[in-house]
Amino acid sequence: MKDFFKLFIFNLIFYSFFITFSAFGIPFLALIIAFQAPFISHRKAMKKFRRAIAWYGIGVCRILPFPFVRISYKDFETSINHPGPFIFICNHRSASDPFLMAYLPYEEVIQVVNIWPFKIPVLGFAAKCAGYLSVREMAFEDFVKKTIGHLNDGISIAAFPEGTRSADGSVGQFHSSIFRVALKSGYPIVPICITGNENIPARGTLLLKPGVIKIHKLNSITYDKYKDFSPYKLKNQIRSIMMDHIKIMENKRDA
Amino acid sequence: MTEQEIIQLTNQVFEESFEIEKELLKPETNIFEDLGLDSLDVVDLVVALQEKFGVKIRNDERIKNIRSLGDIYNFIFKLKEEH
Repeated sequence: MKDFFKLFIFNLIFYSFFITFSAFGIPFLALIIAFQAPFISHRKAMKKFRRAIAWYGIGVCRILPFPFVRISYKDFETSINHPGPFIFICNHRSASDPFLMAYLPYEEVIQVVNIWPFKIPVLGFAAKCAGYLSVREMAFEDFVKKTIGHLNDGISIAAFPEGTRSADGSVGQFHSSIFRVALKSGYPIVPICITGNENIPARGTLLLKPGVIKIHKLNSITYDKYKDFSPYKLKNQIRSIMMDHIKIMENKRDA
Repeated sequence: MTEQEIIQLTNQVFEESFEIEKELLKPETNIFEDLGLDSLDVVDLVVALQEKFGVKIRNDERIKNIRSLGDIYNFIFKLKEEH
């Protein structure tokens, strides 16, 4: 009964603030940037939209659910000190994953998203203005061209190659599109493993449960290490690295 | 070309082009769910099969119905019979 009450209070508080914050915060930020847009460069406007989404992400994932939900970010990079840009590959368990990308210590990150985030009122508009790439609505050649264009401009790319949220917490099969971009462009790949948010909220429900979300940024994999791989081998290699690390994160395997 | 030769050559394509272990190559193996191929990988597969068997299959509508390795064996077998 006590747990039920705690869960009820948590969800009541979160959703009250979430609705208010989403209904006013994002339109307010988007309006400010939209007014500035004619007077600044296109790239700068895109950057501002991305920053607005990142702020929204931190608000929704860190501030509003606190102290019921805590976030732990760890950087395991040991091999190189590459300035970037990078191709971030993330596992996908929750609708909160794209907002958690705000934790990456890189300002310029464009996300590769499915169709649905573009359909969210206002936020979808902001995502379009931020230059997010709706991979299913683009021809593969356009996707490659645009993605490599962003990377060459110094902007990192974050992708969720499972394509959809995992229903049972397992890491689904990867789509190869982003790995083909990596092989064509030669930028380092950085796996990002996220656990703990599978119930915040779980797929098919809006009910949030308290917990700790862990975000682990793994070692970069530089082009010289994967240049001779086929796209199929590359995607499975990265998937395997991530699955092994997720097992460690969830204490299913010894470190 | 016998059915056994077609199976052997098709499996070779999976081993050489995708580095998939021999043990996974069974007729009932689903190329999408079990092996994790996606639509772009299928394009690579079609190119490799064309080279291996010397046939043109890129525009063949029957490719869309392929799900398992067994489907590929049957498809190639029928294709070879037609030529």
